[in-house]
Amino acid sequence: MSRLSIWLILGATLTFLIGPFLIVIFAGMSAGEALAFPPQGLSLKWYAKVFTVESFRASFALSMFLAVFGTLAALMIGIPAAYALNRYDLPWSETIRTIVAAPIIVPGIIVGLALLRYFVVPLDVTITMALFVTHTALVLPYAVRVVSSSLNNLRADMEEAAVILGCTRLQAFLKVVLPNIRGGILAAFILGFVTSFNEVPASLFLSGPGVRTLPIDMISYMEITFDPSVAALSALLAFMSVTIVFVAERLLGFSRYV
Amino acid sequence: MFLNRTEGLALALPAALFTFLVFLVPVGILLSVAFQTDTGVWSLRGYIDFFAQPLNQTVFFRTLKLGILVAGASAVIGYAAAFCIVNLSPTSRGRVFGFVVLPLMISPVARTYAWIVILGRTGIVNDVIVGLGLSSTPIRLLFTETAVFIGLLQLFLPLMIISLVSAMENIPKDVVPAARVLGASWFQVFIRVILPLTKEGLVIGGTLVFTGALTAYITPAILGGSKVLMLETLLYQKVNVSNDFVSASVIAMILIVMCFSANLVLKRIASVKG
Amino acid sequence: MSDAFVSLTDLTLKYGSTVAVPKLNLDVAEGELIALLGPSGCGKTTTMRAVAGLLTPASGRIVIDGTDVTRTPANKRGIGLVFQSYALFPHLSAFENVAFGLRLQKLPDAQVRAKTEAGMATVGLSGFEARKPAELSGGQQQRLALARSLVMEPKVLLLDEPLSNLDARLRLEMRNELQRVQKNTGITMVFVTHDQSEALALADRIVLMQDGKIEQLGTPAELYAEPVSAFAADFMGFENIFRVEGTELVSDHGRLSVGFAVGAQLLAWRPSGVEVGTGPHKGRVIGSSFAGGHREYVLESPLGQIKADAPIGTPEVPLGQEVAFDLPQQTARHLAA
Repeated sequence: MSRLSIWLILGATLTFLIGPFLIVIFAGMSAGEALAFPPQGLSLKWYAKVFTVESFRASFALSMFLAVFGTLAALMIGIPAAYALNRYDLPWSETIRTIVAAPIIVPGIIVGLALLRYFVVPLDVTITMALFVTHTALVLPYAVRVVSSSLNNLRADMEEAAVILGCTRLQAFLKVVLPNIRGGILAAFILGFVTSFNEVPASLFLSGPGVRTLPIDMISYMEITFDPSVAALSALLAFMSVTIVFVAERLLGFSRYV
Repeated sequence: MFLNRTEGLALALPAALFTFLVFLVPVGILLSVAFQTDTGVWSLRGYIDFFAQPLNQTVFFRTLKLGILVAGASAVIGYAAAFCIVNLSPTSRGRVFGFVVLPLMISPVARTYAWIVILGRTGIVNDVIVGLGLSSTPIRLLFTETAVFIGLLQLFLPLMIISLVSAMENIPKDVVPAARVLGASWFQVFIRVILPLTKEGLVIGGTLVFTGALTAYITPAILGGSKVLMLETLLYQKVNVSNDFVSASVIAMILIVMCFSANLVLKRIASVKG
Repeated sequence: MSDAFVSLTDLTLKYGSTVAVPKLNLDVAEGELIALLGPSGCGKTTTMRAVAGLLTPASGRIVIDGTDVTRTPANKRGIGLVFQSYALFPHLSAFENVAFGLRLQKLPDAQVRAKTEAGMATVGLSGFEARKPAELSGGQQQRLALARSLVMEPKVLLLDEPLSNLDARLRLEMRNELQRVQKNTGITMVFVTHDQSEALALADRIVLMQDGKIEQLGTPAELYAEPVSAFAADFMGFENIFRVEGTELVSDHGRLSVGFAVGAQLLAWRPSGVEVGTGPHKGRVIGSSFAGGHREYVLESPLGQIKADAPIGTPEVPLGQEVAFDLPQQTARHLAA
């Protein structure tokens, strides 16, 4: 194949994948009142307005809370699980693996409905707590998978060497394993953060008036108002994700782990 | 490998127990609802009633159709794009690959919203159509199957490209030139060399795209609305509009069964060809 | 043996319900260099892991320097182990790798520094302290792993396939290095290998293992000259092994009269023990390759394939041609079945 046809195909594909974002960024720069492209005059007023919308601020805070603490919680239980699955001769290891991976396979909307009806309502759990638990469960498979692959790349005999040199098992984990899977843990955190922050279907039934994650808030907002603020917010969110991933890639070669 | 099983179990248990209790048990109960009548008798009534309604049938087949179309289209585009990507120099390969992965990190709401700007009444496409005089008034492009198809394709195409690129990177280096030297046309190279050697990547990518399209909520909700319902949006309506939990349970089961059988069927195809 | 420094008694090792090593007995004297030799899966590595404390024996005893360590955890056993993969800590510098165990002993910093520097000097790695393991060559990594174990002054140093990851030239260098270290320190060493030439070159005594059992134990000279079984003979390079029936040799392919009767059930010849060019038997040359000091022939005979080495200087026999050969009585090794 010639250089030209290669770049034609790639150009078309990338335009399809990336192009719409560029359009959203510009649509958000409109000076007009209605969403349109090309925008009617240029201004940054919609980008500024996003920060003044009370519900966006509240839902952004909630989404941040869920993404940070849901992922941390998933890592707290996910790292030991990944370690056990990788390093121990576990009974029922396949079952445990399947159970922990299940939230990735089951469609999110079903998870949300099931948790609402058979966890939140009967146990009288608060909405925030329910969202926290759901996001932890949804991020857990990623945490286990990324940490596992990181552990896989670390030969087990390194821990044995540490033990023979005098470490207890815990010391061997802290002194030898942890420093060497730091990158994987950070990658798992970023992947979990992005997954949780962007999550919609599972949070759908668990959201109520006043307690909504940001993406759900955006959907409800755009159903009512047809102004460019959602475009501006979309562009800002895209920018946030891209920055996080870009920095992560630069610092630790994020894509190795995903 | 450590042989202390109790210690290993103690480490794995919190995660397993957590997922089991707050995830599998509620989902299990939800799925069982459709098999029981109000009096608690086991029956398939819920399923029979569900499929008796024409709307539900339409939605079911539409979801299946869109899933297959999106998976098929992304396989075709994916092979072309992946083949181009692996033929790039290492630096541009990394950059292009980065641009393919990038959309996956961006909120699906933002990704889907872009299509409203493009396909809406005052969007670019309608501007062009009206501007060229192809139609005097804007055409309805949103809330059509085509819009949902395009949105889903854009959402999931990267997954297919990633799977195929990593599959193609594992093709031994000089196999394609060797086949060319032996007299194979590009089409024959694809059918006889590339396809068999990348079928695992195709299966993984295909499963991801197909199940992703089946279970996507945001795209059909925003681009299809209530005019182009898919199973996920139908489920939401059943619960929030008509309080019909039996139908919701039936849809949940259908979605799960479809996802699992997609996994199985594609795995089977891969192993038969090999 | 009363002077045993390391003593394994009725040692039984299991993986799950699979018995890898049944009732092994072995004594190693202080300062001895012992090779555990055998094909993969023979139990040599399993035995070594049990001595190191990485595997708890199902039954039996391990005594080191008069102390029963059977139930002593690996981190309290005072044994060194050099892993086949070296298992260096990638996040630590060469210096910190060597100092790792010393720091765990909570030695004063000056002492850690002195011992580490001395250890690195012993293996010729002075000047490489700041490097990360990934920045060292394969041979340097191997020596770093050795230094890391040696600074702990272990009672016994175990080495898992110490030369297998090195290229031919480095292997020879490392072989000398190991011998030198052993001579200087007088440390008791047990190393595991599947390569008989490595075992022959390095060890004071060789433990040849198969299926978890000791097939033969002896000095390199003994094993080389007098293997006791077909397995040992095959492992030691007796590539032509045949059954004996009266005055005939028998193989799965056919039989051949050798004209002498022996009491043994099996006779074995090294390729160098087979004569080519003279002799009562006829074979066709189906393989011939130059090997420096000799030429290696493969002959098609009534007994099937026979491997024979002919000294350089004897006339070369072309492929496909018939040639006379002899399986002489004096180069035959007598074996029990």
